[in-house]
Amino acid sequence: MSANRPPPPVSTMLMRGLFEENPIFRLALSLCPAVAVTTAVKNGLMLGVAVLVVQVLSSMSGSLVKHIINPKIRIPVFTLLIAIWVSAMDMILAAYFSDIYQQVGLYVKLIVAFAIIISRMELFSMKHSVVPCFWDGLGMGLGFLVGLVLAGAFRELLGSGSIFGIAILPFKPLLLVVLPAGGFFTIGLIMAMFNWVDVKRGHKLPSGGGGAHG
Amino acid sequence: MTCIPGKPVVDQAPPSGREMVIIAAGLTMVCLFAAMILGGLYFVTQPAKEHNLLVREETMIRGLLGLSPQARIQEVRRYLKREGKNTQVIYLTGKKLAQLELEGKEVAAVDVPNDVAAAGTELKDEWVKKQVKAVDPEHFKYAGRFFVGIEGSQPVGYVVEGVTLGFKTWVRFFMAIDSTYTIQGVEIIEHEEDPGLGAEIVQRYFKNQFAGRSFEDVEKISVIKDPLPKEWQEALEQLGDMPFRPWLEKYREMLPKNPNIYAITGSTISSTAVTVGVKAALGNFRKRMNIVEKYL
Repeated sequence: MSANRPPPPVSTMLMRGLFEENPIFRLALSLCPAVAVTTAVKNGLMLGVAVLVVQVLSSMSGSLVKHIINPKIRIPVFTLLIAIWVSAMDMILAAYFSDIYQQVGLYVKLIVAFAIIISRMELFSMKHSVVPCFWDGLGMGLGFLVGLVLAGAFRELLGSGSIFGIAILPFKPLLLVVLPAGGFFTIGLIMAMFNWVDVKRGHKLPSGGGGAHG
Repeated sequence: MTCIPGKPVVDQAPPSGREMVIIAAGLTMVCLFAAMILGGLYFVTQPAKEHNLLVREETMIRGLLGLSPQARIQEVRRYLKREGKNTQVIYLTGKKLAQLELEGKEVAAVDVPNDVAAAGTELKDEWVKKQVKAVDPEHFKYAGRFFVGIEGSQPVGYVVEGVTLGFKTWVRFFMAIDSTYTIQGVEIIEHEEDPGLGAEIVQRYFKNQFAGRSFEDVEKISVIKDPLPKEWQEALEQLGDMPFRPWLEKYREMLPKNPNIYAITGSTISSTAVTVGVKAALGNFRKRMNIVEKYL
């Protein structure tokens, strides 16, 4: 792996997060919060936005500090950087978006431990400069956001018969879909859909879910 | 541009002195950077955060009691002070600071200066501590509060803050009560129940089941697992869009038909927890009100 490899084009970086290496459906990272918050679209969307912001800021700051820190201590430094942005998000949400904070406050603090963020810093920020890191962070963040919204929409529609709290389906909701087990079923189904799309496109994705190249 | 690749460290020899200094300096710089960002943000956001909480509580109290914009809300704080075997109950109202024995016999009562009555909770607690000469902080503790809604100079209703043990942890709620100890409504302020299950306690079809119940009704109330009748649910969904009084007039005859609380499907524990909490809070409030009424 060369240190000075030029960054891939922007479209590749964005699509990588959205599809090829989608954090939830391809890499299967951070499934715990994905299952916990996706009982409704709104919660999924809010957490998705929070993760997006933290991912972009962490990737960029990771890229900025890589020259001044010894690689031996990169893990504690990355963790610290993520913790800074998560705490900042937490304070800002609590102060200026208190309605949303009531819903997702608990999970925002947990972003510190989301595997996807530190893995992008380790795989991408260590090797590229700030601007590509922004695009990579944005792609990964968007991928996570889209994943949460998809799962949230599916579960809210079947589990509560509504979208964004507006009743749509008139039938008796399936309780199972809202329960944690239903969350795993939902993610499994969407994962299957991703694989199906891949088969239709002619099997271009790495079988292990990817994540190795940066 | 020179980059340090994230290659695995093969050389496991202990770092040299110079290297260690560089590592320590790098970590210190990142930590300083973190401290600056977080400190600055805290300084900027903390007042907004506290303000949000106060506004939220006040909006809830006003909504629950159906107060007019001119109405005033007075907080009444309750403290316990232990001295040897003696326990004293202390009430801080808008006008008086009353020190009482457990049975309600007055030990001392002093007037509250206006600036203290209007101050924030921390200042109030400090002032009370000084007044009652609580030397050991272990023997003096805050023990709950309620709010009085005042229109003109007349109290029109009370909002009691209660806590109850839910499925996982504490559920904090506000309960509005009128002067005849009839519940006007319940709002859940804080909870960590499961989304889709216990978290349904915040929904109108559950929390509004308490509205309109008298003290005697609540004493006899229990939680049942029957399905919630359709027309009762529709009535419950109305309260909140409609103020309490007209709502009660319209649906009064439905209350005796549904004398118990219908548990949330799959969340009997959370439903029971709130019911037990409401019962206890109402009983305690009635007992305490008999004592504290003359100091309001």
